[in-house]
Amino acid sequence: MGRQSAAETGRGPASPTLTALSSSALLLPAYAPDAAADAPPEFTEIGIRYSNYQEDALGAESVIIGARERYDIDVTQAYVIAPVGDSWSLGLDVQHDAMSGASPWFVGLTAEGQPGVAMSGASISDNRLEVSANTRYYFDRGSLGGGVLHSREDDYDARAVNVDGAFNSEDGLRTYSASVSASNDKVFPVQGVIPVRIDEERRQSRSVYVGVSQILTQTSLVRVGLSYTLQDGYLTDPYKFFDQRPDERNEWALGLGQRLYLPDWRGTLRADYRFYSDDWGVDAHTLRLEYSQSTLWGDITPYVRYYSQRQADFFSVIADSRQEFFADDYRLSSFGAVTLGMRWEMDVRNWRVSLFGERYQSDGDLGLGGGEEAPAIVDFWRFTLGMTYRFD
Amino acid sequence: MSRSVALFMLLAAALLAGCETVQPWERAYLSEREMQWVSDGREAVLINHTYSSKEAASGGFGAAGGGCGCR
Repeated sequence: MGRQSAAETGRGPASPTLTALSSSALLLPAYAPDAAADAPPEFTEIGIRYSNYQEDALGAESVIIGARERYDIDVTQAYVIAPVGDSWSLGLDVQHDAMSGASPWFVGLTAEGQPGVAMSGASISDNRLEVSANTRYYFDRGSLGGGVLHSREDDYDARAVNVDGAFNSEDGLRTYSASVSASNDKVFPVQGVIPVRIDEERRQSRSVYVGVSQILTQTSLVRVGLSYTLQDGYLTDPYKFFDQRPDERNEWALGLGQRLYLPDWRGTLRADYRFYSDDWGVDAHTLRLEYSQSTLWGDITPYVRYYSQRQADFFSVIADSRQEFFADDYRLSSFGAVTLGMRWEMDVRNWRVSLFGERYQSDGDLGLGGGEEAPAIVDFWRFTLGMTYRFD
Repeated sequence: MSRSVALFMLLAAALLAGCETVQPWERAYLSEREMQWVSDGREAVLINHTYSSKEAASGGFGAAGGGCGCR
């Protein structure tokens, strides 16, 4: 939207966190087809989902200046997927995000001498529209897929492409999968209440994944996968006052997963673990456990997720701008987080109705890596209602 | 990173070591929706996007989509 001021637009500046939630990270997700997805969909399916994401306000003692309220985001997702002939599928996804709230600008000292956050001020609002299309070709021993994506918002533009493949062993018990993706992005921050120092910068990411999954028994399967992502270009957050990051980031992630069906219980146990490491000094562990119970009134699935990360080498609670690289962004700090969630899904004729609710709570003491807690780490609620319809 | 690669090789080798034979007609449970690696693609997109914008880590299964202004 160019260089209009917040006063001209009636809005505050767009924010890095807005950009964060509105950018297309992982929106060409995990194209790691699984062992059971060996056939195209039999019927055309359409779906729509609405989600509300609400961050807790910061405590008054943690804020130096600015609003305490943080982000409130409404997300609408719509999609259609259809079989084409006997061997192809085509899919189209559209997502719209409407955001408002405030984000941390920098960390300084409060009157009591404790670290406190200067917020960007209230009344930030932004919209993002994203469109993606994908296709998949199925053959006897696997499938090949590809997709393109374009995401546009007021201060960020992303164009991404991905290709993936999955190949089964002769006995069908093992599946090898691989995928590559690339994204070319532009960031053009809006000049507003927060001064920004750039007009337009570019960043790119290139990513590759290999994995293998294995059927163990009639009721269990496991997988292991490894991904590598190279980000380069302007990786600094333009809306942070004290932020100067390297222009390259090499990221590795190792994933493990298991699925276990319990016939006597008509339940399913799902477990996923990830170890992440990058050359900014961040290490992270993520563990997610779910149990799905089939009932007469649909499937009920409680889940828990634990996350812990060690801070980036150049992070400090109050940034030291005399260094070559520095940041006070809480997302690069040491902390841990626990998510508790529940989902309910029910099929009624050709419809499926889904409800989700989850609570994310973070704390410096929950982390495994030590380090001082950043004052702006976030807690949030998220609720989702989804409906799909199958044409048969 | 070398730790990740080494662990991946070790775990992949363990998987490839072979397990009991499960015939195609014995895979009904495995084809249940909840047994899929991703049982709800749009939910996975939403939560991965949310978490990766609040945390430093991302990836693990599949190549990243990129286009991220969040980190």
